[in-house]
Amino acid sequence: MNDDRDYAKPGPGEPDLLALSALVDNELSAAERAATLERLAVDTDAARRVADYRAQNAALKALFAMPTDTTRCLVLRRRAPWWQRAGVAAAWLSVGIMLGPLLGPTLVSVSALVLGSAPNWLASRLSTDQVAFAQRANIAYAVYAPEQRHPVEVAADEKAQLVTWLSRRLDRSLMVPSLQEYGYALVGGRLLPGEAGPAAQFMYQNAAGERLTLYVAQFSRDTAAVGLLSDGGRNTFYWANQGMGYALSGQVPETHLRPIALDVCGALGGHPESWR
Amino acid sequence: MSFEADIVVWLPVMKRYARALTGDPTWADDLVQDTAERALSRWHAFRPQSNLRAWLLTILRHLYIDQLRMHREIAVDDETAPWNRMPAPPGEVDTLVLRDMQRALYRLPVEQREVLLLVGLEELSYREAAAVLKVPVGTVMSRLSRAREHLRALLAEEPHRKGSALKVVRTVVKSTP
Repeated sequence: MNDDRDYAKPGPGEPDLLALSALVDNELSAAERAATLERLAVDTDAARRVADYRAQNAALKALFAMPTDTTRCLVLRRRAPWWQRAGVAAAWLSVGIMLGPLLGPTLVSVSALVLGSAPNWLASRLSTDQVAFAQRANIAYAVYAPEQRHPVEVAADEKAQLVTWLSRRLDRSLMVPSLQEYGYALVGGRLLPGEAGPAAQFMYQNAAGERLTLYVAQFSRDTAAVGLLSDGGRNTFYWANQGMGYALSGQVPETHLRPIALDVCGALGGHPESWR
Repeated sequence: MSFEADIVVWLPVMKRYARALTGDPTWADDLVQDTAERALSRWHAFRPQSNLRAWLLTILRHLYIDQLRMHREIAVDDETAPWNRMPAPPGEVDTLVLRDMQRALYRLPVEQREVLLLVGLEELSYREAAAVLKVPVGTVMSRLSRAREHLRALLAEEPHRKGSALKVVRTVVKSTP
């Protein structure tokens, strides 16, 4: 096999070549692997091919590194699922039960109801209401707060740019409240897909490395109600104001998060007095 | 974890594969966007126990093939082709070798390129790649083998490269005192 241009001919040599590829790709059984390695020891042409295949793989990986900081333009647009268009679904019954308490200015924990009623990945799409909103915020926290290398897309040292960019994407002038008095500094922000358009996530961090996120997205239903969602050790306070939904999430006790959420709500033009 | 969050987790993988497949970062971004949208609109077709990455790559690849027909074919030696404008890849591998590799990759027929990227770059097993491409495992194996041999041949053609071997080496340029 001294002709390098025999690639196009499926010929008698092909099974041999397949074994060489399979060796490189770890697709051989132990016995086949041993036999192929034995062959390489005496067949320099085959050995050279295997080395070339490996070099090709290495070159591909060098050419296409995993993108880490380039997701900022991703906006997911979703059509309303069938059950929303239909307007009725069995799920609404359970959502209705949860919404009842939310309509008043009472804090309720709904996570057990939501997560207990359906598989987790299904639960988040049960409705477009506040609970779903809070779940998205809660999940976004779970996904990005542990992130060490790229917790945000745009860092806080470019704060003006960050706010301009996210304001433009959300089509709303955004404000980023300071949490300095609680020891949390702004790390930065990112753009995420939301239920009804893009969402912004601002991340804060204290000296101990603990993080809070403020999740912001358009939210048409205006209500003075505030909610608390607890899931997996994470707490999320959420509320809506003037067409925007807000959620503050953290892996901290509810009692720790609540006064911060009250302040954030007030700083963003909300009505924290209705929380009491 | 919600379905959406799971998809977000795989975004970098989708983006890498899309970039490698198209050689065009802009097209790749659109492909990833389209893939995520389609995945979300078809979430009910996804079985939670199955392989989300493979499912997403299947959608992406399907969209790519669709869009390929609509894209004007770009001559491989066209200096304005996207992969000729991609920034020089950093790293320990000889940059010239990577340039050759890049050029050669987009001279492969698409069915060879996609299987090479799924196995060689994304490290899918033959079975997973077969599922993504909707072909038998044997077809994956023969296409992959041909892709690798084809690449060797293309790289051997490069004028400044002697022999057929693609060597991963570090070039050290030293000025003589």
